[in-house]
Amino acid sequence: MSFPRIDRATRVIIQGITGRAGRMHARLMRGYGTNIVAGVSPRSDVADVDGVPVFAACRDAVAQTGATASVLLVGAQQLLDAIGDAVQAGIRLIVTPTEGMPVHDALRARRLTQEAGVMWIGASTPGLAVPGQAKLGFLPEASLTPGPLGLMSKSGTLSYESGYRLAQRGVGTSVWVGVGGDPVKGTRFAELVPFFAADAQTEALLIIGEIGGTDEEEFAAALAGHHFGKPVFALIAGRSSPEGVMMGHAGALVHGSYGGYAAKQAALEQAGATVFGSLDEMTDTIAAWHAARASTV
Amino acid sequence: MFLLEHDAKTLLALHGVPVPHGVLIESADADISGLPPGPWVAKAQVAAGGRGKAGLIRAANTGSELRSHLRDLLGATHKGLTVRACRIETRVTGVEEAYLSLMLDPVAAGVRMLISAQGGVEIESLAKSAGAVRSATMAPELPDVAAQAAQLAAGYAPHIAGALNRAARELAKIFLEEELSLLEINPLFVRPDGGWVAGDARIVTDDDALFRQPRLRALLASRASAYPETQRKQEHGCDYVVVDPDGEIGLLTTGAGLSMMLIDELRAARLKPYNFLDVRTGGLRGDATRLVNVLNWIAEGKRVRVLLVNIFAGITDLGEFARLLTEAFARVPQLKVPVIARLVGTNFEAAREFLASRDIPVVTDLGVAIALVRGHL
Repeated sequence: MSFPRIDRATRVIIQGITGRAGRMHARLMRGYGTNIVAGVSPRSDVADVDGVPVFAACRDAVAQTGATASVLLVGAQQLLDAIGDAVQAGIRLIVTPTEGMPVHDALRARRLTQEAGVMWIGASTPGLAVPGQAKLGFLPEASLTPGPLGLMSKSGTLSYESGYRLAQRGVGTSVWVGVGGDPVKGTRFAELVPFFAADAQTEALLIIGEIGGTDEEEFAAALAGHHFGKPVFALIAGRSSPEGVMMGHAGALVHGSYGGYAAKQAALEQAGATVFGSLDEMTDTIAAWHAARASTV
Repeated sequence: MFLLEHDAKTLLALHGVPVPHGVLIESADADISGLPPGPWVAKAQVAAGGRGKAGLIRAANTGSELRSHLRDLLGATHKGLTVRACRIETRVTGVEEAYLSLMLDPVAAGVRMLISAQGGVEIESLAKSAGAVRSATMAPELPDVAAQAAQLAAGYAPHIAGALNRAARELAKIFLEEELSLLEINPLFVRPDGGWVAGDARIVTDDDALFRQPRLRALLASRASAYPETQRKQEHGCDYVVVDPDGEIGLLTTGAGLSMMLIDELRAARLKPYNFLDVRTGGLRGDATRLVNVLNWIAEGKRVRVLLVNIFAGITDLGEFARLLTEAFARVPQLKVPVIARLVGTNFEAAREFLASRDIPVVTDLGVAIALVRGHL
């Protein structure tokens, strides 16, 4: 198994398990089948959360359970330190759903995880999932059906909506990665191109981007560089957003010609991707691709 | 947030960076007796690029010329944004124009510096001529930036290289201390003696670091009306942007990406959304206050004729949300428009029954919801 292809056996800890979000999402993730083996919390009065043992130190949680992945449900101001703890403890996959991480902290966390060769997904990510196996984060079950479509998204809600519509049309996902809406993030679209190119269960790829940053342009360049032989579909939000205003995500800011819709669309189309103008067009086209594929399999 | 030039220069001046003397004028009839010495340049304050090309930066030699420019510029629109203030500055003469910027490099996880001995034009077009712009990415530490600056500026005329070198050190310190995402000085005026002045300034700050940035917090507090989105987010914990003051459809939505996409789709269908909103249903926690605030803001839209609620709830209990929404409507009686709700998620039936008893139609298909909205326009 190579990350982010997690499965039922992947051993996962939750840093911040005794908080409100930690308790709730520990329950929801376990309900989906995620193998939560331990939690971490500075609270010495809590020995376990619903039977999951709680450790004071991340390194003890990892040493005693053999965990390789961690979901961090701590405050934005604690994220950088908590990521450092996870890296030092030997965690190989870090998922941080928390919104509002200071961007210079994110820069340092990216340096830290890259130097250690650790995959960091986030911040501000709804998480990742391999439908039918396990999920790390908040992804709603209504949108998760196993299938052949790889999915990457900056936005949580727009990917929930897209996954839900596709699931209703019988199209499921192979591996779903929410990279998050922050400008500096642990894992970028382009960096997952080699994984999706090699992943045998992924037959096509959908990316859900948005205005701001250059992630979509880098992704387009990576497709060409890897001779990505599978169909690529793209939906980009924010086509009609005003310049100079942050649209909810810290990364969704257009200034000058930087981060605009037109450049993203052009780069993606030049790389051979199909860029959709609407959710309906996306659903119809991908459902048609799926049906045609099924008839030839 | 993207700082207006005036505020960017105020911040730089607080750090001791030389900027042209200037004042902010918000009305064409304002008292201009306190201006710095002329001749002047009148610069429209709007958070978008291309001001020069759009005629929003104008030279004035006399007071009456200046008045005339102010009348033209104040209230003008640029890329959908309204000019609400002008910065009047003493024109700087006898200088050369260079370029320097610092920005985050999200791929290399460092700070990227761009410099050029030629400034004043759009950097994108300048960058097309080979060697005109030099750049390097370095670790986000002051000594690294200083070392790189010296290397990059090597070979320029001595007064230009000296100015860029000193500017890079001073600006990098500010960039790191204030946790900026972008700090661009274009033009960076260079005097024959190697002194430098920030001719223009573009700064993007990090809202998420404001909690540990007292200077920026104070600046924001003193200029709250210029940054309503950031102000709202700090105070209320949700993102709200009026995207069209003449908009007809109020939006009560959650999720930044889905809300942006909905606006795109409504506009493509020739409908006029009023606002962007990421209300963050997960943060309501049983309290209707945030919904009340949002409905009050939307009620300020003079032409809003219908409200579309669109919630795709991953975790949120829709029954609970419907209860809070109904409570919020009762607390915002001045919002008298019809409401269409499109909901997907847990406890949908409870939400539908709850809202139906208040004559709010609830559907799951977004296309159907938009058709119902159209029926009220």
